Amino acid sequence: MSLIRVSTTLNSLRQSSLRLSTVISRWKSTEAAESIEIPNRIHRSPTAILEALASTVGRDPTAPHYKYHDDPYMVPNSNMTKRTYAMAQESGRKAAKWIKENNRELFMHSEAEPPIAAFAPEMVFTEESEVSEQTLKDLIQQCEITDAVFVYNLMKTKGIEIDDALKQSLLELVCFYNNSEPISEEFIEERWFKQGAANRDRLSKSWKDGDLAEQLFNELPKTAQSYSALIRGMCKYYQVERAYALFHESIEKQIELDTKTFNSLLLVSSFIKESGEMRWEFCVDLLRQMKERQLRPDIGTLNAALKTISTIGHHKLCRTGAIKVLSEFKAIGIEPSLGSYCYVLNIFCREKGPTSHVLVDILNEIQGKEFQIQDIRDTSFFVTAMEICRNHLHDKNLAKKLNELLHTGKNYDLIGDSYKESVYYRHYFGLLCRTEELETFMETYNHLVPNIYIPEPGIMEEILKAVEVNGALELIPRLWTDMTVFEHVNRESLVLQVLKIMQENKPMLNLEKHQGLNEQFAKIADNIYHKIADQDPIKVQKLSFSGQMLGDIISLLVRGAENQKAIDVFKFAEDHQHSIPGTPNESVLLELVDACIEEKSPSVAISCLQYSVENNMNGLQLADKIKKGFTLNENHLAKVNHLVNEK
Amino acid sequence: MLRKLLSTPTLTTINQRCIATTAVNLKVQSGRYRITPKKDKPLTYEMANPPHFIAHRKSWNSWNTSTIDGGLRPSETAIEDIFIRRFMIGTWHSLLGAEVIIKRQHNMVRVALIIRQAISPRKVYFLIGYCEELLSYWLQCPVKLEIQTIGDRKDVVFKYI
Repeated sequence: MSLIRVSTTLNSLRQSSLRLSTVISRWKSTEAAESIEIPNRIHRSPTAILEALASTVGRDPTAPHYKYHDDPYMVPNSNMTKRTYAMAQESGRKAAKWIKENNRELFMHSEAEPPIAAFAPEMVFTEESEVSEQTLKDLIQQCEITDAVFVYNLMKTKGIEIDDALKQSLLELVCFYNNSEPISEEFIEERWFKQGAANRDRLSKSWKDGDLAEQLFNELPKTAQSYSALIRGMCKYYQVERAYALFHESIEKQIELDTKTFNSLLLVSSFIKESGEMRWEFCVDLLRQMKERQLRPDIGTLNAALKTISTIGHHKLCRTGAIKVLSEFKAIGIEPSLGSYCYVLNIFCREKGPTSHVLVDILNEIQGKEFQIQDIRDTSFFVTAMEICRNHLHDKNLAKKLNELLHTGKNYDLIGDSYKESVYYRHYFGLLCRTEELETFMETYNHLVPNIYIPEPGIMEEILKAVEVNGALELIPRLWTDMTVFEHVNRESLVLQVLKIMQENKPMLNLEKHQGLNEQFAKIADNIYHKIADQDPIKVQKLSFSGQMLGDIISLLVRGAENQKAIDVFKFAEDHQHSIPGTPNESVLLELVDACIEEKSPSVAISCLQYSVENNMNGLQLADKIKKGFTLNENHLAKVNHLVNEK
Repeated sequence: MLRKLLSTPTLTTINQRCIATTAVNLKVQSGRYRITPKKDKPLTYEMANPPHFIAHRKSWNSWNTSTIDGGLRPSETAIEDIFIRRFMIGTWHSLLGAEVIIKRQHNMVRVALIIRQAISPRKVYFLIGYCEELLSYWLQCPVKLEIQTIGDRKDVVFKYI
């Protein structure tokens, strides 16, 4: 179309302008030679345009995730609020769903044409419902496990015949979900926040023995499909002995099982065999049987074999085994997925084993590639690899390379869930904080905090350490603000650390960036003091003062020229000296006496001396200072002398 | 129909014309507010501008572009509007700071609200989830809430009359 338009424009140009004639004639000659070729239509999905548009924008680290509402009041500031807000919204959605299901008659209207099933109330099946094979088929199609089982039982009591193909698909469904309802796919937040917890307690037998799955299996003719379904279900929910027995039974009956069933058995080999060598033998034996049956292994086989190897304790055996397996699968053209690499890392980088640089090779191999999920374990790769960067190799460049891979294409989808994401960044930050220069580290910090990652208290501690080592005191006020926002200030260790850093490192006032720090530190100290002193008495986990802490606060207040506040804090310490463990240092008391001299309040200075004497400190220095600093009246002088001589 | 009846005023039609069911227009009064003796009645920007300023100084409270090709929304816009507004007023009880703005775009409805910060953000999120889901069941299209919060009712007051 545009070509034609161009040619007509050119033609008219040629007629009107002689000057252009040479240029045009060259154009014209090419035009004559070219014929318009209409390219073949490229079939695209309905969402192709949206995907193309989406690929032009990435995650904006300056804004909170788009699931949160963009309003200062509703932007989450801490890990806790991030979780709470997302879950609260989802729980609202659940409430609406509940209302819909409980008032079905109100939601039976049909506005949309064609009707959208997702907006209508779910079908409710009762004893009187009219059911047919089609109903059951539809329910199985929609993976409605509870309803499907109910309808199946209903059909049985009504005496409706069910053919074997349908029973088989019901068996598969029941085996897949272990006859219990999974978390609905609608509730993405619940899945995002829950998965970490769910994975941790999954390793015990949860198969429902003697349940519907086995009844269905007994009713069905013994085919490869029915055996496969049951064995896979049992393996998935760790009923391994019976799965293995069934496997033997099927071999005796000469039933040909498929690759996926072999894979599922391989996956649980660590439950079937006790020792490492036996597992390896078992694994090799299964692979051999697959070969005999001329089954083509797939990525699942590779991952299952690697998983078995990763459970073997013997170093040498598992390393050689892993290399053998990888090379053999490479020879038959099966590319490892991220999950396979994750197992490889588990095999080569053991906590007490020798250092292995296998991750470097892996990253060189897969850099710049985009991955799609092939195995559930794929989502563990990034977090495992980052942990190895931090704890095994201590290599920041490798970590950056890994981070780059994570942000290639759609690879971020493979981060797993909220738990894995935060562990990933925890390791990333922990590593950078130790190895990177503070300035460059702070760039990363500014980039990712708080919208993408909020440091946990442990990481905050590391950052504070780095700040102290580098003497970058100017960062303390900023970090303190962050800690307040992230709700870290009720951690005693962190509060103590901040106070200690501020007290022990005096700002160098000749540096420009340290200007005004004393005042800011005094503000922070005052803030901490009030935070602890004005705590809600009902609160369970309360912070408590120690003498050391109060000393730090006093000295910071004095340095920040907040003498009156310092005196107030001292009075507090004096009043509560029996309930507060420890005392402020003598050097702090000396600073305080200086402040008293400035404020011209000898009585406080003397009570300071009294406090020090009562707490078994050498008061001579203090007394000297008091005598020099004030012109004392007789009463005061007598008291000072009395206190010192008593000693 | 009406015109046809008017053009042929027979006796029977006059009998049938006795009850007017159309709401009175009240063009002079509607959308305008009376000045109070103490001049202490708060008005938002939207209230402060009478209807003839729509599209000049202020915009519509309800938008509809769902009738374009593929939009496939039912045409009962006014009834739907009233439903949504009442639903919002009831659900966000005593929290709304200004008029509810309803924007129908293609096959989805966006509802914009200004609410007071009188309940915790967690509860706000709960209500957002609840409203979006329930309204989308009712209207059978995706519904999105766009919320802004104000610290004080006075933040939205434009002037007192």
